[in-house]
Amino acid sequence: MVIPEDRQLNIVVAVKLVPDTNADKRIDPQTRRLVRSAAETVLNPFDEYAIEAGLQLKEQLADGSSVTIVTMAPESGKEVVRKALAMGADRAVMLSDPAFAGSDVWATAYVLAAGIRRIGFDLVLTGTQSTDAITGELPGALAEYLGVPGLTYAREIHVAAGRVRVKRETDTGYQTLSAPLPALASITKSAAEPRFASLKGIMAAKKKEIAVLRLADLEIAQAVGGDGAKLEVTELTASPARAAGKTVTAADGNAGARTIVAFLKERNLL
Amino acid sequence: MKNVIAFIEHKNGRPRRVSLEAAGAARTVADQLGGTAHAVVVGGDAAAIAGELKAYPLDTIHVLADAAADGLIDPAVDALTTVALALGPSLVLVGNTMIGRDVGSRFAARVDAGLNADAVAIDVRDGRVSCVSPKLGGLVITTCVFRSEYGVAAIRPNVFAATPGSGSAQIVAIEPAGRAYAVTLEEDVEVAAPELGVEEASVVVSGGRGLGGPQPFTTLLKDLADAFGGAVGASRAAVDAGWISYGHQIGQTGKTVSPALYIAVGISGAIQHKVGMRTAATIVAINKDPDAPIGAFADLLVVGDAFAIVPELVSAVRDARAVHV
Repeated sequence: MVIPEDRQLNIVVAVKLVPDTNADKRIDPQTRRLVRSAAETVLNPFDEYAIEAGLQLKEQLADGSSVTIVTMAPESGKEVVRKALAMGADRAVMLSDPAFAGSDVWATAYVLAAGIRRIGFDLVLTGTQSTDAITGELPGALAEYLGVPGLTYAREIHVAAGRVRVKRETDTGYQTLSAPLPALASITKSAAEPRFASLKGIMAAKKKEIAVLRLADLEIAQAVGGDGAKLEVTELTASPARAAGKTVTAADGNAGARTIVAFLKERNLL
Repeated sequence: MKNVIAFIEHKNGRPRRVSLEAAGAARTVADQLGGTAHAVVVGGDAAAIAGELKAYPLDTIHVLADAAADGLIDPAVDALTTVALALGPSLVLVGNTMIGRDVGSRFAARVDAGLNADAVAIDVRDGRVSCVSPKLGGLVITTCVFRSEYGVAAIRPNVFAATPGSGSAQIVAIEPAGRAYAVTLEEDVEVAAPELGVEEASVVVSGGRGLGGPQPFTTLLKDLADAFGGAVGASRAAVDAGWISYGHQIGQTGKTVSPALYIAVGISGAIQHKVGMRTAATIVAINKDPDAPIGAFADLLVVGDAFAIVPELVSAVRDARAVHV
């Protein structure tokens, strides 16, 4: 498929709803699930960079291209999704079905791909990882299920002449990569800072559409959710809490250094 | 799954350490499964890398020597898929690194494999492979078994042993996929000298807001990290202030590390930072505030002036390590 140069682009940003980053999360020992009351749901902070990148592309293209937010989440997360609309996205689609609950990375990528194909896309943007699962594996799997090139860890992204070009971060520098559309790119935190929603944006978001797609609306051939997960959690235990060690006040630099050296030698670290 | 395949990342003609650790783990797990241990190497230097890999306890090293594959993900995924499908149901080990996650996740989607992120232990129980991984920043530890025919585990660097073996591995060529790739590599630029990443270092020296500016990160902390042969990390506050690049950030919105020793300098220890380093074996903190939250989970908190303590510590560490060498 070749995207004509003068066509408006459907930019789809895949986001995740996660527990608030700053909350001290806790697991209920009975249900072995995250206690949601202790952790407000927010947009995954990494995904805000993808939303920002999508909005900037739309503004640069200024040709009627649009930004659609897609997320797999229960409908109770609607107001969180609305925050992405308040930043300036045009519309949102929630993939919500009890059958999606308990999805692992594989199932999440599979369902998102089905949703994104249904929406229609030229460019899919994601964050690089989520703050709860931190697998960093969704963008690659999603690109594969969509059957498109995946340009990951992009700190800069440009679209021109039917191609997407990114600066991809590497451990020691960067690569410039390009690929024809349709394609997927994941956006790093080194890209542009996400904008705050303006009052006007917040008001406008109230009128924007948040569509809901269910399992039956999607072309899904395999079992998804907990039943379809390729990984089965057999044990889940709370990490032992770290106990406080000792506190030593150092009279001067030398005394402080000696305290540390003695401690490291005691632990065979020196 | 019966066989285990280690995907080998390499740079400047050398395999990455985490890939050697994957090779070591491949042997251990394959023995438990009663299968064979393999490695896949792709790129212009693949033949030379394979030579170096022969020192590790593998049965077969599969090589695609093709410089056109350098810097790209897709050719590596194709090569890995070719090898895995020929071997039949197998476990693929990649490093939990930028490249390892990309290759592993694309391969997993291609063969509908389960994907276990950040594995710190791999075991075989009743013939099934199970992986242990910390989740939610180390808050909980999960054990997962694969339900799929193929599985991918991204192994945490610095956890598995890279033990050399018999050196009897056979080297075989991978049949090229013979297709054109959509992604074009236009340039590959190195801006920093290759240094040990925080995820792979066994000692991490991190700085926070208490350091007051960018300079201590390239002098004070760098000297201490170098003295240990370790890497420099940072808190979000330091990265947000622009004192050091994001690649060094440790915490919930940065990297998760579990080194043998973590030294936190001028870091208060907010939850955001804690989840990125709480699994370190030993935590030492230097802070001028005796009530800094980090004192509640550090093994040792030294209350004092980091600018006075660290230089003294650097020379003490250099002396101590010089004796051992």
